[in-house]
Amino acid sequence: MANFNIDAKKDMVYDAIVIGSGISGGWAAKELCEKGLKTLVLERGRIVEHVKDYPTMNLDPWDSELRGVLTPEQRKKHQVSIRSNWVSTDTAHFWADDEANPYTEVKPFLWLRAHQMGGRSLLWGKQTYRWCDLDFEANSKDGHGVDWPMRYKDIDPWYTYVEKYAGISGEPLGLPQLPDSHFLPPMKLNCVEKHVKSRIEKEFDGRHLIIGRCAHLTVPHNGRGQCQYRNRCSRGCPYGAYFSSNSVTLPAAHATGKLTIRPFSIVQSIIYDEAKGKATGVRIIDAETNEDIEYSAKVIFCNASTLSTTQILLNSKSNRFENGFGNDSGELGHNLMDHTYRVGAMGKVEGFDDKYYKGRRPNGIYIPRYWNIDDKTKNDKFLRGFGFQGGGYRGGNAANSENFGTDFKESILKPGPWEFFITGFAECLPYHDNQVSLNTDVLDKWGQPTLAIDSEFKENERAANKQIKEDAVEMLQKSGLKDIIGFDNEHPPGYAVHEMGTARMGLDPKTSVLNGFNQVHAAKNVFVTDGACMTSSSCVNPSLTYMAITARAANHAVSELKKMNL
Amino acid sequence: MDRRSVLKKTGLVAGATVAMPTLLSLLQSCWNEPRLTWKPEFFTKEEATTIGTLVEMILPRTDTPGALDVKVDVFIDRVISQTYDQEGQQNIRNEITTFNNRCKEKFGTNFASLDVSERVEVLKAEEKSTGKFNPGIWGITIGDQEPIGFYRSMKSMAIWAYFTSEVIGEQVLSYDPIPGSYEPCKPLSEVGNRWSL
Repeated sequence: MANFNIDAKKDMVYDAIVIGSGISGGWAAKELCEKGLKTLVLERGRIVEHVKDYPTMNLDPWDSELRGVLTPEQRKKHQVSIRSNWVSTDTAHFWADDEANPYTEVKPFLWLRAHQMGGRSLLWGKQTYRWCDLDFEANSKDGHGVDWPMRYKDIDPWYTYVEKYAGISGEPLGLPQLPDSHFLPPMKLNCVEKHVKSRIEKEFDGRHLIIGRCAHLTVPHNGRGQCQYRNRCSRGCPYGAYFSSNSVTLPAAHATGKLTIRPFSIVQSIIYDEAKGKATGVRIIDAETNEDIEYSAKVIFCNASTLSTTQILLNSKSNRFENGFGNDSGELGHNLMDHTYRVGAMGKVEGFDDKYYKGRRPNGIYIPRYWNIDDKTKNDKFLRGFGFQGGGYRGGNAANSENFGTDFKESILKPGPWEFFITGFAECLPYHDNQVSLNTDVLDKWGQPTLAIDSEFKENERAANKQIKEDAVEMLQKSGLKDIIGFDNEHPPGYAVHEMGTARMGLDPKTSVLNGFNQVHAAKNVFVTDGACMTSSSCVNPSLTYMAITARAANHAVSELKKMNL
Repeated sequence: MDRRSVLKKTGLVAGATVAMPTLLSLLQSCWNEPRLTWKPEFFTKEEATTIGTLVEMILPRTDTPGALDVKVDVFIDRVISQTYDQEGQQNIRNEITTFNNRCKEKFGTNFASLDVSERVEVLKAEEKSTGKFNPGIWGITIGDQEPIGFYRSMKSMAIWAYFTSEVIGEQVLSYDPIPGSYEPCKPLSEVGNRWSL
């Protein structure tokens, strides 16, 4: 697979334009192309072809001169993303240029971006969990935000559809709060994880410890190879063993012959035709030549990533939409959510010193939500719920030993002590005042307005975090761990990289931007199916839901096109 | 014994990096101030000698290579030269000076010129007086990190540089670039040393 068609035609009306090629954009492209639509994908960065453009995928530490350490120039270029501590020379080429793409933190917010074909689907954590009706009904039940215009039964078949294609490994549990996916065989727990599992499940009614459900192939699937347990995923996987747009959806779209993907295409705005009452295309700036170009299409899918999609909509002003495209409700840019993260506990595990593992499993454990599921599990201190991710491994920090010299050197050649940690991810409520707006005082490299992000965790999130820390410490204590440390690093939003909302779906055009099929209420040929569309945030990772929502919306778009409704 | 004559007799001249352990210990007994055999990018000769002596004290040659065998000192110099900003570089410089000053106060000369037992005494004191690293998960340091101090920072850097060197990574530690599967609970005896990757 190679040689994407990058020759976009200015004078042609495409059936569909997809803005962005990350997790949701890749799915939009695949679905629309496979249903016969001539589709133009606009990607603001470069082409990244599967395998061919993964320069670091096989490098050992000693193969690079600085063994992963960034130079001052690289740190300047990635001044935002390095705050995550995930950027090294192994992956720096997949992270956005933060200098060229500034944003303003009215309150601290880590906005991690990846500007190339495939976007963050190359770098994501690959944890994949279905949402449930607790999630889709949450707003309606406790009155925060607006009701979702869909329920679990509406998205259930689309979960199955995308799971069968993407390949999700995991173990079925039959829990209502964490519906099972269509699974490939699960990865394995190691002996320490099994030990902690048995203790937690014995000590705490209703709590489960399971292997993470993830978009890694544990068996060959749809022509892709299975995981080789190298844990070098973020450099790009030569086996195609984890789901990315580059390895899965874009090659499928390309295979139809219907796909054009234009790189270096920064979408400036969506063009609205007042007479027709719909969008007719998009304006782009060529990132390399600064040329302004317009492309036309019958339907437009916005998949630029949560905040970039909203930035484009806010910047798409017209007589009809003075405050941003489809913003009759005034909700565009509002109700930004993320998950809390980096709060939990860790400790040492004794009794397994003669055990080790082989292979670097790119996955950990998961403890599904157990609070506020029913009357019995009601917690008065906070609304909604949280789950934990974590894992057991042999770690330790040899430098902390107070020894040195011959015996010390020999000792550190052996694996360190077993450690086990869990870190919670709590659902965040949709608050109107957690918002982004266009900032015309700070322009990007191409002279475009940038985003000002004004968002914070509030009382409910802090209460959930308090419970997370208490529960985490208690679970590790009852599992018999030693040297337990509870922690709450009190990070600002953005660090979980689950930013959601700002163009929410809803039943009422007066209080939401999108309808139940992700169409802009006031311009039904424009669909938003990335994280911007989310009406609430659940406590589980959102990417699988983006995939399912996108496939469902694309199906609807094609059906409506055929009925001449768009 | 005169250092130069030992060097001549053993053929261990500038640029030679491999010496038999017995020869090395012979040299160490009379060679209080090692001579630098490489050209640093950032360090002065004296600083490089301090760092080289320090990392070899922490990770000495045994029947497995020591820190200097795998050029830990050369790599530390390169990392500081190419990845530290000016302020960070100046800090390191100051800290090496302070470290040597402590040695001078106690024993009258800088670290590299001390005999081995004096160096051990210095490092034992450093171990007691410098901070420890907080644990971390997924690259995140947990809690508020107290200042680490020069000695433990350098020890940490030395261990990292040692483990990520090709010889240690491929031949001393257990090396398996493409495991192919995950075996969750193996007897440690079947693996041996820690995995390098």
